Amino acid sequence: MDVPTTVTTALADRPVTGRVCLEAGAGVGNTTAGLLKAGASRVYAVTDDGEHANAVYERVDSGDADRTAVLKADLRRLPLAIDSVDLITAHGLFNVLPPPWLESVAAELTRVATPGCHLVIDDYEPLPDDAAVRELFALENAATELAEGRPALTFYPATVLRRLFVGYGWEFDRQRTLLDPVPWTTGHIEAHAEVAQTAASEVSGELGASLMTAAERLATEIGAESVGQMYSVALQLPA
Amino acid sequence: METRPLGETGHDSTVMTFGAIALNWLEQDGADQLVELVLDHGVNHFDVAPTYGDAELKLGPKLRQHRAEIFLGCKTQKREYEGAKRKLEQSLTRLGVDRIDLYQIHGLEYEHELETITGEGGALEALREAQSEGLVDHIGLTSHGDPQLILDALDRIDDLATVMFPLNPVVAGKDDDEYDYEAVFERADELDVGTLGIKAFAKGPWPSTDELPERDRPYANWYEPVDTPDEIRERFDFAAAQGLTSVVSPGDPKLVAMVLDAADRYDGMSEEAQRSLIERLRHEQSPVPEQLHH
Repeated sequence: MDVPTTVTTALADRPVTGRVCLEAGAGVGNTTAGLLKAGASRVYAVTDDGEHANAVYERVDSGDADRTAVLKADLRRLPLAIDSVDLITAHGLFNVLPPPWLESVAAELTRVATPGCHLVIDDYEPLPDDAAVRELFALENAATELAEGRPALTFYPATVLRRLFVGYGWEFDRQRTLLDPVPWTTGHIEAHAEVAQTAASEVSGELGASLMTAAERLATEIGAESVGQMYSVALQLPA
Repeated sequence: METRPLGETGHDSTVMTFGAIALNWLEQDGADQLVELVLDHGVNHFDVAPTYGDAELKLGPKLRQHRAEIFLGCKTQKREYEGAKRKLEQSLTRLGVDRIDLYQIHGLEYEHELETITGEGGALEALREAQSEGLVDHIGLTSHGDPQLILDALDRIDDLATVMFPLNPVVAGKDDDEYDYEAVFERADELDVGTLGIKAFAKGPWPSTDELPERDRPYANWYEPVDTPDEIRERFDFAAAQGLTSVVSPGDPKLVAMVLDAADRYDGMSEEAQRSLIERLRHEQSPVPEQLHH
């Protein structure tokens, strides 16, 4: 189970060993793998995506199965008790949360956190104006707004998320840069183009068709691009 | 060009080592020109082996002319006393010099080889004898095999001055022990053993010969190399930033000038940029340690 260096770097100065952890927005389980490797006593890997839940479940080594619980759940309504988690990670989570969700997710993560709980938020700074990938992400957002009524991606500056959680009683601990630049590989670009195309397929008429064509064209034109920054912000609840 | 102490040898090696296998693909005039170019850039550490075609012979003339400026590494693939002694004599003759600064056990791949090398009548005896006779100054080891085996060798051979092993962002992004050359680097560093990095420029294994026959491969490397100035510089910066004593240039002469340029301009690489490179490449295939023969 390869753990990305972004995850190991973000966790390196956090007390993971023996802690009950929550990976908020598990994706394919990169951080779950990192938390298990770092000695977490238990990891709740939460995702609202069934495919991701299966991917995380399959990724966890059989020897770690008794330390891992994959939960398919909404982060705004966690099936976890008050004061039950010692360390929370949100690695690449917030960029897929639309702005109206921020408060309810922050409130819910705070509810399940023990006094003294650590929180690690790893995410992307807004992209510079001249980034080619911005056009693809804008198109992806347009298609998902039309299809689902919400954007697929929002890049929140580190200061915004930091202040959000400070507002819920968390104390800022440290910030570091994980990636500079961020490598948007061909695989990433194709995955984003596919999200845009799937959304565009639900948009009727010529508009949907043109969005699909544009997504394919952009993915081909961009190929891969290294641009922007990924940050890690760590906070802690007063004990 | 920046220099760094080569372990406890007392020598400061340039952050780039010239892999003299590149000379094998050139005529003598071209070989002479390439050595002059490398020396003009200040490179002071050369590495050659009898298995590199006629690279030893082609290096000879310029090596003898500039002997004082060059820290010379050579190698043997022999595992037993007699063979190693004979190969050393052959290399001295072919190079036309009376001393090799660093003589290395070449291409360690299997546990049983390590047993033979370190056992009675093993190659190490020949190397230590040559050292006492002044034919060899320091003893080293090279491998692109199992990192755990290299760690074993570091534990068992206490007079190793250097170790040469792969280090690049592709292997750095993989967690399995079979790719853990970083552990080799860390142990060598703790022991103050000089570290020479190979495969820094490996993009991946070549496609199968059905897809790309050997005669159509554009570079004389046994792996597919990165080949643009930016990629070469990025790979050089990464390898040098890990703290290796020196990064060995790739085997194809067409790439050497770009590596020289990268080495000249090396001024560090931030940790976040190193991670960016690892993240970009960590799902790529690595030509080490699967393809062991070169």
